[in-house]
Amino acid sequence: MLRLNQLDVCYGSFKALNNIDMTIGAGELVVLLGANGAGKTTLFNAISGLIKPTAGDMEFEGQRLSGRKPSAIVSAGIVQCAEGRKLFPQMSVAQNLMLGGYVHRRDKVGNRQRQQEMYQLFPILAEKKDQPAGSLSGGQQQMVAIGRAMMSRPRLLMLDEPSLGLAPLIVRQMFETIKQINRLGTTVLLAEQNAFAALKIASRAYVMENGRLVMEGDRETMLGNERIRKAYIGA
Amino acid sequence: MNLFLQQIINGLTLGSIYGLVALGLTLVYGILHIPNFAHGALYMVGAFMSYFLMVDVGVHYWIAMAGSALIVAALAIICERLVFHPLRHSPPIHDKIAAIGILLFLEALVQMFWGADFRRMSSPFTGILNFDGLIIPEQRLLIIVGALTLVALLQVFLRKTMTGATILALAQNREGAFLVGIDANRVAMMTFGISGALAAIAATLYAPINLVYPAMGHLVIMKAFVIIILGGMGSVPGAIAGGMIIGFAEAFGGFYISTAYKDIIAFGLLVVILSVRPQGLFAKGAH
Ligand SMILES: Nc1ncnc2c1ncn2[C@@H]1O[C@H](COP(=O)(O)OP(=O)(O)OP(=O)(O)O)[C@@H](O)[C@H]1O
Ligand SMILES: [Mg+2]
Repeated sequence: MLRLNQLDVCYGSFKALNNIDMTIGAGELVVLLGANGAGKTTLFNAISGLIKPTAGDMEFEGQRLSGRKPSAIVSAGIVQCAEGRKLFPQMSVAQNLMLGGYVHRRDKVGNRQRQQEMYQLFPILAEKKDQPAGSLSGGQQQMVAIGRAMMSRPRLLMLDEPSLGLAPLIVRQMFETIKQINRLGTTVLLAEQNAFAALKIASRAYVMENGRLVMEGDRETMLGNERIRKAYIGA
Repeated sequence: MNLFLQQIINGLTLGSIYGLVALGLTLVYGILHIPNFAHGALYMVGAFMSYFLMVDVGVHYWIAMAGSALIVAALAIICERLVFHPLRHSPPIHDKIAAIGILLFLEALVQMFWGADFRRMSSPFTGILNFDGLIIPEQRLLIIVGALTLVALLQVFLRKTMTGATILALAQNREGAFLVGIDANRVAMMTFGISGALAAIAATLYAPINLVYPAMGHLVIMKAFVIIILGGMGSVPGAIAGGMIIGFAEAFGGFYISTAYKDIIAFGLLVVILSVRPQGLFAKGAH
């Protein structure tokens, strides 16, 4: 589904991503592990078209992504639920969700139906639908962010540290929801530092260190790996 | 009593014009993140375009207004494409300098064609309505009704349509807007177009009870700055309310204190309000 081929990204003279090769198959839930500053957000932004790679190419369902505008990438079926959520804080929850369906704006009926599905997935959002998104709690805002991303009906959903700053109980629910989204047919790429919880719902994982992918394997291999346990699980 | 009501009409008239100009300024602020100093020049060009279409081409007032709105919208879009868009990655000071450049350029251009003279623009609405002693010139009524209608339409567009919501979305969170697939170029051009059209309509409404000359935008834009500082940069309701506050302060101050000081009142009010509420009267941010 998604294939990255020897991707490099630089910020000025600093090489943030180095020779990234990655493949994600349709229907998978893949976790990207990496410490602060490893380059996870940079990779997501490169896939989303927010920053230009300096070398390599990206392919999605057989089409080249390189050089496309962010809006074209959302239309192609890849959407990112970004670190820090990036909501429209003064707009209501309902408006945030509505704008999530921007690329399908001609299909009003479909958008409304999809919005109802999001309220089923996150019932609390239905209660808060007229409140400004900025006034919600962190966990609720994360739900708006995921809901908004899902409104564009992605085939590949990229989630950048959705558990950041949330209480353990909320994190568990969040991961349950992500698993459910994946089961319903959306391919998921999940960047996390919360390795144990993330690996539990994943089928495969990559580990990123200093802009390079240093390890790859399925869930069991990763959970059993000494280095991963030491670095990310602390046991 | 009638004198008091008369000042209310004057306040509404001024407030309507200031509000329309400030609305355009506040919308563009959401895109540029600086106040667009060239906005006053767009207002001035709007008045000259209407004047030209009415006097030299000979069309009706309404058609001149529509034509002027279209021309100035196109001019604003050209400014965005040729000047602000290429500067989008530069530090904000470059935008500010460029905006002043556009201002000087447009003023010089208009002066080259029309000279620096003061001109009078007529309108078909010269009648005066008399409601039991309360005197309302038709043009003033047109200004108030016209501005209220435009503000209502703009609100519906921004709040109820997906296309309008993209303007506020881009202003509230630029990256968030990219992430949902909003094309920044389209929104930027649309916003500049709307702000130009609003400026041209405001100028065409106001010109018949004022004069048309190349420097006519200066005072209006200064006051619009005061309004968006008071109303909160980027805030749509703040621009409307701020416009009315300044309009009323001028009408009443001019009447009860002295017309000679009328133009100073806006700035005096700014100093007073900012010393009490440094954040402005309304919440900052595009909404
Ligand atoms: N805009 C930028 N300009 C320059 N350097 C940057 C920029 N954004 C990120 N970097 C650098 O690139 C590297 C990777 O950053 P990135 O944000 O991708 O890490 P991350 O894995 O997402 O970290 P975190 O878990 O803290 O979010 C870091 O060293 C960071 O300092
Ligand atoms: Mg990150």
